[in-house]
Amino acid sequence: MSLLEVKQLTKRFGGLVAVNKMTFEINKGEIVGLIGPNGAGKTTVFNLISGIFPASEGNILLNGRELKRMPAHRRSLAGIGRTFQVVRPFEMTVLENVMVPALARNKSTKLARQKAEKVLEMMGLDQLSDSEPGNLTLAQRKRIEVARALATDPELLLLDEVLAGLNPTEVAENLPIIRQVRDSGVTIIFIEHLMDAMMSVSERVLVMDQGALISSGTPAEVTQDACVIKAYLGEEDPQC
Amino acid sequence: MITKKLYVIGAFVFLLLLLIPLFFESTFVLHMYTLIFFYTALTAAWNIPAFGGQLSLGHASFFGIGAYAGAILYVKYGVSPWIGIAAAGAFAMLGGMVLSLPLIRLKGPFFTLASIAFAEVLRMIAIDWRSLTNGSVGINIPFKPALMNLTFQSGKPFYYISLTLAVVVVYLTYRIRYSALGFHLRAAASDDEAAKALGVNTSLAHFVALMWSSAITGVLGLFYVFYIYVLEPQTIFSLDLFSLQPALNGIIGGMGTVWGPVIGAVLMTPLGEFLRFYLGTIQQGLNYVVYGLVLVATVRFIPGGIVSLLAPMMKRKSAEKAAKPAIEKEAR
Repeated sequence: MSLLEVKQLTKRFGGLVAVNKMTFEINKGEIVGLIGPNGAGKTTVFNLISGIFPASEGNILLNGRELKRMPAHRRSLAGIGRTFQVVRPFEMTVLENVMVPALARNKSTKLARQKAEKVLEMMGLDQLSDSEPGNLTLAQRKRIEVARALATDPELLLLDEVLAGLNPTEVAENLPIIRQVRDSGVTIIFIEHLMDAMMSVSERVLVMDQGALISSGTPAEVTQDACVIKAYLGEEDPQC
Repeated sequence: MITKKLYVIGAFVFLLLLLIPLFFESTFVLHMYTLIFFYTALTAAWNIPAFGGQLSLGHASFFGIGAYAGAILYVKYGVSPWIGIAAAGAFAMLGGMVLSLPLIRLKGPFFTLASIAFAEVLRMIAIDWRSLTNGSVGINIPFKPALMNLTFQSGKPFYYISLTLAVVVVYLTYRIRYSALGFHLRAAASDDEAAKALGVNTSLAHFVALMWSSAITGVLGLFYVFYIYVLEPQTIFSLDLFSLQPALNGIIGGMGTVWGPVIGAVLMTPLGEFLRFYLGTIQQGLNYVVYGLVLVATVRFIPGGIVSLLAPMMKRKSAEKAAKPAIEKEAR
């Protein structure tokens, strides 16, 4: 059985259809890229899955369980972790930031601290434990964002542009993290605009345009897809 | 190192405070200190929802409910105020629940506005429900000095009682701040959506914070009314004395920090009394003008409150603190 099933997912903001009848499945242990031109609705899909706002129509099932009416914090507890495209660290130290999700699952500050330290070490952030995120570089804050999401012990992790805005060196440093996370057994869907990174990491790619799913398959397949090319380059193709 | 030094200074100040009533017979001095302690405790209790960024301007509600619960039980039913403490806390907490019901969805400024309205409604109820509250005449606590009656010949016992209350409440808020609840509140204050996405039930955290805060405030209200003997709706539910004052203390001292309320209450209580005494007699309301200026200056120039001026020192301290109590607690 697939880990995540999304059926006919639709989100309307007034007259604007941001997500239009999206249907896809994510299998356990997969690492799936979600791409599409700006404004295609990728982040909206993440917001719908993580429960930031409710879907207008459709179903979201995690391990066969309907999530539609579940509030955001319960979805997190159910196993959906996410990062935000614009990093949103709390005004507290890096360590405390990562302790927050741990404390949502276990009231012991001691256990939360151990957990946070473990995650920070895995993410190579242990030197920065006592720093305030506001004083760190974007690359570091993006890592904190991932560390915090990991501390929720997710089954499914939604990574929203964790590489965007980083310079090539930083991308090279942060890229292995995605693989490392996957190797720890977490299923990942990630949004990314950096195509090289996308193609090198993902096993399967979903392509969105104007709120709809227009293509899916291996990276090699989708790059050959006429509809995808049209969405990105605007070339005429009567089939699309 | 710094933490240790501060503990030593703290212990020293505490000892001095214990000795003050032995050397100062002046009732004015004792009264001033007692008021400071009451306001420290009240501001600290007010500050618990403020950890989560919720600004209450209606804490007089809980203060008044607790005061009425204790006074009615004692005067009408002869229940010792010491037993009344439980009722004061429970009824005030009930008040907190009522206030939080519509707030499951409304936060921020809506909470603030609702809290003001809530206190006003309670004031009207206290005035109109004569059979229970004695209307606007209020309730007098009969002067029958005895420990059981929480009534004393001199002001000294209340000096120590209020000092104890201040220490206990500040300690409680300290424990709350560095507990899971404290983390959840701080996360919610910082970014509610991100906190939810990490599994934090921010609505529940705000609710629990308000429960703590209202219950403690209710208990303080009971002690306060036995200290001043008089309970009338206009005073106990007044906006400025028990709703705005703790909020101002908290904001000026440093909202959402453990020591901000202490600093705010220690500085602002004497200033408030002083201004009321000297300026209030020249032109009524002039004291509030000065008060307002202090508030505006604080918000404009030191938005983090006075505590933030001690930032370099306090920051290191709070980082250590965040680390230590947790470990020590588990070690025990």
